[in-house]
Formats: sequence, structure tokens, C-alpha cells
Amino acid sequence: MKKHLKAILLIISISFLQINSSYSNEDVNVSSISYDEIYDPIEPINRAVLNFNFFIDDIAIRPIVKTYKFIAPEPVEKGVSNFFSNLKEPIRTISFIFQGEFYKSFNSIGRFTINTFTSLGTFDLASRVGMEKNETDFGITLAKGGVSSGPYIVLPIIGPSNLRDLSGDVVEYFVDPISNNVPNREYITIGDGLNERAEIDEQLDRVREASSDRYEMIKSIYYQNRNAQLEEEYIQNLPVPKIYIE
Amino acid sequence: MKNYILIFLIIFSFSSLQASEVSEWFEEESNQFLEIMNNNEGTESENYERYKYFINKNFAVKSIAYGLIGDNIIGNSSQNDLTLYLDVFTDYLIKTIYKLAKSNSSSSIVLKDVDIKNDIYIIKSEISDKNSSANLYWKVINTGKSYKIIDVIVENTSYFVTKKSEFNKILRKNRGSLEALIIEIQKI
Repeated sequence: MKKHLKAILLIISISFLQINSSYSNEDVNVSSISYDEIYDPIEPINRAVLNFNFFIDDIAIRPIVKTYKFIAPEPVEKGVSNFFSNLKEPIRTISFIFQGEFYKSFNSIGRFTINTFTSLGTFDLASRVGMEKNETDFGITLAKGGVSSGPYIVLPIIGPSNLRDLSGDVVEYFVDPISNNVPNREYITIGDGLNERAEIDEQLDRVREASSDRYEMIKSIYYQNRNAQLEEEYIQNLPVPKIYIE
Repeated sequence: MKNYILIFLIIFSFSSLQASEVSEWFEEESNQFLEIMNNNEGTESENYERYKYFINKNFAVKSIAYGLIGDNIIGNSSQNDLTLYLDVFTDYLIKTIYKLAKSNSSSSIVLKDVDIKNDIYIIKSEISDKNSSANLYWKVINTGKSYKIIDVIVENTSYFVTKKSEFNKILRKNRGSLEALIIEIQKI
């Protein structure tokens, strides 16, 4: 336990070193970054890791995912996706507490209780009774606490991240009440990873087909999605082109 | 006080009218898009021509294309290169949407909401087939003659922002050469 605590403290300290002084202001706009200049000091390494990931994906993960999507009917896919999402509700509950979002925290634990007891999480009954899912994680908690994203990182097998989100993931690994209390947690981790990969299968196919630079495209999509979770008026604030007479 | 209420009412009625106009345009054009998308008759080239017509009519192609490369590149490039770039980009945009539409069969696009910010309409819609649905946002401008789309945002991913990152990278790698970008786009 002491070892775990040390690791958590170390990660939190590293993350807080990244705090940008401009974020100390209360009117913080945590995600007002320029999408063209994402901090990416280890780009050559990241590109190599991304190529490695695509190689592994091509030879091992993609065939599994394609077979799964071919065999499993839509309701089964949805059920599996709901199951893994439901396992994350307790860690979302904790994240929301740290963010001071007590209503959302209560909502998350309520969803977990309802969905687990009615269908082991495979069916999202809670949404049907008005308890909508709210996505969050420890990376978002750190961002809302004023921690800047730090450098962009592509992790082997796992994929795109940044120092802040990676720190959040490590904290989650140690404090997640579900995965810390089930035997063989690695099976859950692998299952969850494959499920997440299956969910973005079509998008990844498009990245393969329609991109001149898939590294840049994935990086941009990653940051856009994270910013959407952080910014209330995200869609309104996205950059738009200058208007030319057509 | 009465004057303030009157001004408020005029502004409110004017923006409601604008929103209803853009909603009508959107309903009409999204239905037409679905018609093209779900039309399995006709040859490949006929279908491609239909998409071409639809995109030229409804997208602010020049604004998107020029917005993706930025003022500096525009200023430093010859008119010939810019014309060629615009042609190549238009073709690329049509092919992207054509491919995307071909790999999906959609049964409906439902308008959810219209918002206006800085003279840009943000139309929220939901696109769905029998298995799944996704939020689709359209950023639209009024050119005076018609409405034109300047960005499409699927869930949270903006076409304009994503392509701008890609194009900027190519331009930076090639010291701002528009010719290099044109070659890269043609390769896709």
C-alpha cells in the first residue's frame, strides 16, 4: 500500500509541475489551445510508436475486432459495451467528487447500482429513467484542477495520450474500486481495451483511408475529443475559416 | 422601458425568422443528401456527379480550402497554384464525402437545434441508421444568396480543425510549399 501511495504522490507531483501559470486565474479556459501547435516534443518517438501500434493492430487486434463485429449481433455488442462502461461508474463517481460535481457523482453511483442489479451492467436502464451517463476520468479532474496537458504521448498498444491523461490513468489504476477488487483484473483490462478498439473501428478505417498524415489526424482528433469533455461551449468555440466570396 | 422591450422583441423576432429560414434550408438539403446517399441506382460516375453538384451548391469550398492553408500561404502563392489547389481540394472533398456516404446507409437526419454565434449558424442534428446514431453539427453562413456549410462536426471531431492540422504539418514540412501540399492531396 505504501508503495502505491508513493507512486500516486510522485505522479501527482509530476503533473502539478506542468501547471501553467496562466491557468491560475479563475476564468480559466483549460482547453483554449491552438490545434496546430499541440506540444509534441517527442514526435519522432511518438510516430515510431504509432507505426508499431498500427503494425500490431494489423496483424493481431484488427482481425479479432473484425471477427467479433462480424459474429456478434448489434445488441450483444451494445451489451458488452454497456458492461465495460458500467464498471467505470465507481471511478467516475470518485472523479466527480474531486471535481466538486456532487450531483454527477451521485448520478454515477446511482447508475452503477441500478444497472448492476438489473442486468450486471449490460443494459443501460438508468438512462431510460433519466439518469444519463456523464463521461469523466482523472485526466479531466487534473485538467479542471488547472493542470496543463503536458507533452503529447503515444503509448505502445494503448494509443494517444498526454502526460496529464497518462497520470490520470495511473492514478485510476490504483484507486479504481472495481478493478482493484476483482480477481484477474488483467482480463477486464484486455476486454475493455478490445471493446474500446471495436467502438472506434469504423473511425480507424477512415483514418487509414482518408488521411495524408494519420499521426496528425489522430493527434488532432484526440485533443478535440478531450477538449469537448472540458469545455462547455466547445462546438461554438471551434475555429472556423475566414469567409471568402464563393 | 417600452423602447427596450420593443427593441428586444424586434431582435428576437428577427433571429427567430433567421433560424426558421436556415432550418427550412437544412431540412430541404439534408433530405436531398439522404436521397443521393440511399440511391443505389445509376452508375458510379452518375452518383459521383450528384455529390459534386450537392457539395458545390451547399459547401463554402473556397473558404474551407483557403482557411485550411491560411493567409500567409495564400499571400505567397501564385494565382495559378491557388486555382489548382482549389480544384484539387474540391475534388478531394467530394471524394471524401462520396466514400463516407457509400460506406454508410443512413435512414434519417433529424434537426435538433439551431444556434447563432458571430453570424454563424450552428445546426445540431442527429444522423442515424437502424443500429446507431451520432450527433452531427453543421456550421453554416448566409452568403446573402444562399446558405453555405463551412464546417461539419461529427460527434466532437471537426472536419476543418482536423484537416487544418494535417495540412499545416505538410506545409511546415515543405517550407510552406503549396505545390507540395497539392501533390500530397492528390496522393490520397
